[in-house]
Amino acid sequence: MTPRRIIFAVMIMALCMGALPLSAQDDGVSMTMWVRNIGDQVQELVDAWNDRGGSQIQLTVIPPNEFVTKMGAAIAAGESPDIASIDLIYAPAFAAAGQLLDITDWVDALPYADDLLPAHSELGTYEGRKYAVPFLIEGSFIIYNKGLFEAAGLDPETPPTTWDEMLEAARAITAIDDETYGYYFAGACAGCNAFTYLPFIWASGGDVLSDDYNAATIASDPIVREALEYYRTMWEEGLIPESASIDDGSSFVSAFGTGTIGMAGTGAFGINTYRNDHPDLELGAFHIPGKEGGASSFGGGDVIAIGSGTQHPQEAWAFLEWMMSDETQLEHYAARNRTTVRVSMLENEYSQDDPLVLTAASALAVGKSPYSLVYNDLFNDPNGPWLEMIQIAILDGDIEGALQLGQDRFTQIIEG
Amino acid sequence: MTFGLGSLSWEQRRKLTGLLFVLPTVLFVTVFFIIPLAMTVFMSFHDWPLIGEQSWIGTTNYTELANDRQFLKSLDFTFRYTLFVTPPIFILGFILASLVRHQIRFIGIYRTIFFLPVVIGLGVSSLIWVWMLDQRVGIFNKMLLDLDLIAKPQLFLAKPATAMNVIILSVVWKTVGFTMILLLAGLQSIPDELYESADVDGAGYFRKLFYITLPLMRRTIALALILSVIGSVLAFDQFYIITRGGPRNSTISIVYWIFNNSFTYWKMGYGSAMSIVLLGILVALSSIQYYVLRERV
Repeated sequence: MTPRRIIFAVMIMALCMGALPLSAQDDGVSMTMWVRNIGDQVQELVDAWNDRGGSQIQLTVIPPNEFVTKMGAAIAAGESPDIASIDLIYAPAFAAAGQLLDITDWVDALPYADDLLPAHSELGTYEGRKYAVPFLIEGSFIIYNKGLFEAAGLDPETPPTTWDEMLEAARAITAIDDETYGYYFAGACAGCNAFTYLPFIWASGGDVLSDDYNAATIASDPIVREALEYYRTMWEEGLIPESASIDDGSSFVSAFGTGTIGMAGTGAFGINTYRNDHPDLELGAFHIPGKEGGASSFGGGDVIAIGSGTQHPQEAWAFLEWMMSDETQLEHYAARNRTTVRVSMLENEYSQDDPLVLTAASALAVGKSPYSLVYNDLFNDPNGPWLEMIQIAILDGDIEGALQLGQDRFTQIIEG
Repeated sequence: MTFGLGSLSWEQRRKLTGLLFVLPTVLFVTVFFIIPLAMTVFMSFHDWPLIGEQSWIGTTNYTELANDRQFLKSLDFTFRYTLFVTPPIFILGFILASLVRHQIRFIGIYRTIFFLPVVIGLGVSSLIWVWMLDQRVGIFNKMLLDLDLIAKPQLFLAKPATAMNVIILSVVWKTVGFTMILLLAGLQSIPDELYESADVDGAGYFRKLFYITLPLMRRTIALALILSVIGSVLAFDQFYIITRGGPRNSTISIVYWIFNNSFTYWKMGYGSAMSIVLLGILVALSSIQYYVLRERV
């Protein structure tokens, strides 16, 4: 046999061997699923589904800031995924554009249809029809470092309940040494501030949008100004590290993990991250307070939907149904310190002894999620009015200019 | 072998041969420029969301441009950026070309080193700069701290002026090698006899530069400047990756704004209208440059 023939024979054998697993996989349907990159929870879930045999899911993880852009472009190119885990506030826009499969009949037939988390279910509904169900549940809250509270002479078991109490705590923690700061926010991250800053306004009875979400109330609502002044005070007094001004979200979670930050906004995703990566930190959590008390939270996370162009709607729905089932919710959500998609299961055998998980779950009770077809343009766009307003007010100190700019640009976007 | 063309005259065959030679280029330009351009013009007269139904709206997209505060701000920023970035690229490119012009030992290595950043993709080089500018692990802060030039790590991207400066620095580093190669070709095309004659006449360096080198490099300079200006007006990657348009939306270039409208706000029709206006601006700018730097007989 000549060397050329040997190479040819080896290539044929390699091709045959490579084809074997493919033939085996062909027994089940293969589906594509997209998710934005918010931790490893979805990969674990998909692995568990694939291990059961039958239809398989190929997971593609998209950077969070680029999800809407890539999803829109993929839909326009006719290459949308079979299943998509979508930031819940974008669900109405995708449903309105006819890109999600109407799953109303399937959802209504579920014995626990009324038990699905209402805020997420509402955002999965468009003009009375259901297009998505709750998938990843995130209610924002404040996480705090009990060790730093103690070092600052504060009671670590009595977290702040008002803006002033938070401010005093931040001052005391910052006074510990030059490397320690009372508070942290990602100053160049639009979405992070919708998630953790808007609730300060809501908890005080204010809002940046009218009740029907069709008008901006930035200039007319005095609470918005006070909330900007509140953060500005913390920034001016140096209670927040200077590096926060350029954090586009990449240090949103990790900054608190350094152990030099007293308090920071976060979501349920933070609990496992901090516990796994920084086991030495002693953690506490409290709801985002209003000016004089009260609490609020941004009901965030993802809903999951089936693409209207899928060739495998039955198989895709089977995955969604399995995901919402009692067993999956208990073993793959609750057991891993994640908030369940079912109201009746929020408190479960795993969460009862865990104050952080309980705070994350109870945050949803005071949670709110704006329903707007232009949410991305208003709040999440890194070049949008929400972030520009925050930066001009808090970092530059021009609160008057920021309010006017926010009001004008919000109005312009809402009116199209 | 006649291919059935035996009945054609020599003149007809010559024309057909010429046509066949240019056909690949014509096809390439048609598929990748003429058709997309026609499509962009067509889209610019529509309300054309990225997903969903399109509708004809006439010239509305164009009239809206005049009231788009960010569009005007981005145009202003892009022109300022072009104005600031072009001279250093050209002057440094010229100096480097002059340095590597003569055949000295290891000249190939020097030329390669200067040209190396050009072969890196702009996206990759931008990511490298993000890392180098970082206040915790970046090499710039480390060097400046070690040299006692700064007291604490600097946030280079926190202020509009410094953000613009570091972007200019990164782009000069990335593109100067290309300008150097262009100008080197121009320099090497000038006959040595001219310089020898000038030497005999007692001309100094600057006299030779202004009376021999620059006039004879007019075409090359025009090409280098036109390419540099077009590249700067179309700048996107470095702003998208290094500054993300910040701080306070102060570094949103015009192509960045077109991208945002088309893919973030899903307004493809509006983005198309802006693209057509930008194309017109580029044609005008290039024409002016070409006219100013044309060969004078």
